Order: sequence, then C-alpha cells, then structure tokens
Amino acid sequence: MAYSDHTAAHGDHEHRPSGIWRWLSTTNHKDIGTLYLVFSCVMFFVGGLMAMLIRMELLKPGLQFFDPSLFNSLTTVHALAMIFGAVMPAWVGLANWMIPMQIGAPDMALPRMNNFSFWILPFAFMLLLSTFFIPGGAPAGGWTLYPPLVLQGGNSLPLAIFAIHLMGASSIMGAINVIVTIMNMRAPGMTLLRMPLFVWTWLITAYLLIAVMPVLAGAVTMLLTDHFFGTSFFSASGGGDPVMFQHIFWFFGHPEVYILILPAFGVVSEIIPTFSRKPLFGYSAMVYATASIAFLSFIVWAHHMFTVGMPLAAELFFMLSTMLIAIPTGVKVFNWCATMWRGSLSFEPPMLFALSFLFLFTIGGFSGLMLAMAPADFQYQDTYFVVAHFHYVLVPGSIFAIMGGVYYWLPKWTGHMYNMTLAKWHFWLSTIFVNVLFFPQHFLGLAGMPRRIPDYATQFADWNRVSSLGGFAFGLSQVLFPIIIIQCVRGGEKATNQVWESAHGLEWELPSPAPYHSWQDAPTLATIEHGAEHGNTM
Amino acid sequence: MTTTQTANDYHDRQRRNVRRTALVLSLIAAAFYIGFILMSVSRALR
Repeated sequence: MAYSDHTAAHGDHEHRPSGIWRWLSTTNHKDIGTLYLVFSCVMFFVGGLMAMLIRMELLKPGLQFFDPSLFNSLTTVHALAMIFGAVMPAWVGLANWMIPMQIGAPDMALPRMNNFSFWILPFAFMLLLSTFFIPGGAPAGGWTLYPPLVLQGGNSLPLAIFAIHLMGASSIMGAINVIVTIMNMRAPGMTLLRMPLFVWTWLITAYLLIAVMPVLAGAVTMLLTDHFFGTSFFSASGGGDPVMFQHIFWFFGHPEVYILILPAFGVVSEIIPTFSRKPLFGYSAMVYATASIAFLSFIVWAHHMFTVGMPLAAELFFMLSTMLIAIPTGVKVFNWCATMWRGSLSFEPPMLFALSFLFLFTIGGFSGLMLAMAPADFQYQDTYFVVAHFHYVLVPGSIFAIMGGVYYWLPKWTGHMYNMTLAKWHFWLSTIFVNVLFFPQHFLGLAGMPRRIPDYATQFADWNRVSSLGGFAFGLSQVLFPIIIIQCVRGGEKATNQVWESAHGLEWELPSPAPYHSWQDAPTLATIEHGAEHGNTM
Repeated sequence: MTTTQTANDYHDRQRRNVRRTALVLSLIAAAFYIGFILMSVSRALR
C-alpha cells in the first residue's frame, strides 16, 4: 500500500461514534484535548469556589463560618484541585490539541494510553472530593502532606493518597505520550530547532514530569505504609526521619512549579511574536533558557526548608542555586521585550493576557528572589508573603497563560471568532482584581500574618478585607470565560485559516476549524519552512 | 525500492521507535519510584 493509500485508508475512519460513547472511547487527540480542557475548567471553578469560601472566612477577624479543621481542609483541597485538577490538565489539554498539529503528526503516538490517562482523572478527583463527606473530613495538613501532622488526620488519608497516585499515573502517562510523540512523530523536515516554542517547553516539561511524579508517588506510598503497615520511614520513634519526607516532597515539589509554568513560557512565546508582527527574538536562547531552568529546578528544592535547619554550606548552596534561576528567566523576559521592541503591536485578548503574564509573573519572580535569600526567608517563611508569591506565579502566571492560549487557538478549534469585547472585559476585570486580591497579601506577610489560619489579629483586618473583596470580584469575573467559550463553540463570525494576520506555524496551515484528523499526509518541507519562517528563526 | 516499501519501512521504523521510547521512559519512571523508596529504606536502617 502506497503512503497516500495508507493515509486514505485511515481516512475511512473519519466517522466517529456519537454521544457519550464518542467521549468515553475516543482516541483522537483533539477530543482528548477537549476533555482535558473541560475537566480543567470544571476543577478551576471547584477549586475557585473553595478559594471564595477561604476568602469569605478571612473577610473579617474571628471565626465566621467554618471551624478551623474545615478551613484547613479547604486550603488543602483547594491547592490539590488547582494544581493537579486545573492547571496540569489544562496544559495536557493544550498539548493534546496543539502538539500533533504543530509538528505535523496525525495524532499522539499512544492514543489508547492517552484516553486512559484522561479517564482516570475524574475518578481521582471524585475520590479526593468525596473525603469532605467522610467522618473526620478531608485532608487538612496542607497540600505538602507533611508527616507527622498528616498521619494524625481522619480516615481521608488513604483516599487522598490513592487519588494522588491516580493523578500521578495520569501525568506520567501523559508525559510519556508527549515525549514519544515529539521524538518520533515529527513530520520529515520538522527538526528539533524548527519546533514551536510551545512544543519545546512541553518536551522539557514532560521530562520533568517523568522524573518527579514517581518521587511524589514513592513519598505518599511511604506515608501510607507508615500509617497502616507499621513502617517508620518518617517516624522518628521508629528510627525514621520526618525531615526526609520534606526533602523528598520538595525534590518533587520544586520541579512541579516549573511543570506548571514552563508551558506558559511556550504559549507566551507563541503569542507575543504574532501580535508584535515580528519573529521571536532569540529562539535558540529561549530553548536553552528553558532547559537551564528545568535543570536548575532539580537542585534548589531545599529553599523551601531553610527554617527546618541545615548546615550553613547547604543553605548557601540552595540560596545561590535558586538565585541562578533568575538568569535564564531574565533571558526569557528580555527576549519577549525585545520581540515587542519596534514591533507593530496590537492588543487582542491573547496578547493582553500575555502582557499581563509578563508583568505580573515578573512580580512573582522578584518576590521569589526575596524568598531565596536564606536570612530573609526566616522572616517570610509560612507567612502570607509566600502565599502572595506563589499565587502571583500561578494565577497571573500559569492561569493567565492558559487563558491567553485558549483565546489564541480557540478560533482554530471551533472555526469561529469569539466575542472580542467580552474577552477584553474578562481580561481587564481579571487583571485588575487579581492584583487587588493578591498584592495586599505581600503587606500582610511582611507584617507577620501566618498562612493557613482561619482567624487573625485585628491589625491585619484592613488588607484582608481588600484581598477578600478583590477575590470575590476576581472569582465572579471568571464566569465570563466559559460564557465566551460556549458562545464561540455555538457560532460566530467565521475564522480564517490563519486567524491572526501574523500567525505562523503548522497549525495555521490547517483549515479552521481543524479537521477531526489532521496531517494524515505529512506536511511538505515547503509548508514546514513557511510555518517556521516567522515563528522560529533557526 | 518502491514507494510502497519505503512508506511501509518508514511506518515500521516509526512504530518500533515509539515502542522503544515508551519502554525506556516507563523504566526511568519506575526507577525513580523504586529508587527513592530504597533510598529512604537505607536511611531508616542507618
């Protein structure tokens, strides 16, 4: 069978099951991408609802609505839902949709595993959320699950640990699929240094996932055996070491932060050149900077543990290695600015979200540098300053980049343009209120307000009120996001193939909406070079 | 060699590479999982 015949035979499978069976059994990367994105959106609102409840409790000093144990459960499950349920699945969803289209592959390399890795996620989160309804309540020891505190909780521990195992297995399978796809399924002529930055950042992210998710799984398995089988991995009374858990957890936890943010760098590196009408400045430097950040993320974990106690030499090592991350990150920020320099800028919603990312993520990066200084960290540790820092990195960082990515590629997915005015409203409300929500938390932290408390001294009342009101407004403004997406799916102005006048890359060579099976015939070298002409400069 | 053979060879090679890469990555993930548990065991036994 000739190559073209072979692909034509595949074309016979253009028909797809309809109804629920389509979504349960699908092996199509676009369907699975959609499933991930819808799941992520649902979890974003579930986690967001918990955030609203937390801010409601903190609106005024004193206990208002929840007992402290439930408050701690809300903070713990909010974090787990947002990290593992909202942000990571959103990135996997975008990867599923875009990577095959961007590298000229017909689908992901392991489509059945792709289906399986999605469908275990809803069960994982059903398990996790069901813990709110069992005696003793949901896990309340924080998302870091530190022993011995977490071992003293109710009956929720095994359910939460099983849920984490399932999430981990899903992530590992997703990561294996991404790497295998990128390394083996690129169209002939799509060399590594012609790949779009989103594909590059995801490739590096996938390696991080494979290295660290099993470490988390190992850590929680040991917690489980400590609790139920009498082992003493982390129990000092049996010869174990609770601090060992913290080392293992943060060996996973710090690269996890980069798992959440590296694909954001990729999305922003796609959006800024398009709306600056210029090629990305320093493509290869961006690739090497991403790889450097990923490498450094493995040797900085103990900066989360300065106050736990460690030799001075170790403190210095972890302080300096953490500060080193500012160099490749600075390269990226410089390159995005240089891309815009003398560009013909326009400010459509994806660009607005990318610019907001650029400014606000940098604020999160700077507060990260402050936290990296070991002596200063003794003041900041476990205060709201830390909460402000990582929310600046994850909300206007990761989540704004996800929203920017959705607004960038949505017309390609649906074939319709969305309501630009409403999307700009979404952007401005989000950007204003995310700052009202999180910026005052810097002041609260510097003034000494501890994190993970349902009540606080009255001197913190004013900024907490501001933060809570900002939180409610930010939460409400997010309702616009699904409304805009649903409107766009149902209809609207027809999108052109290129959608944005200066967009370059293989995905824009496909019709809008992208066909159910794309690139069954690999793109020609000329198409690849045309796609790479403005996006990548190698 | 005909076009048919070339295309089939290409797809066979791609399929083999996909399997090999997936296997290697799965082994790496398993090694990290078991490795960290073994490391903790050896520390607890010290």
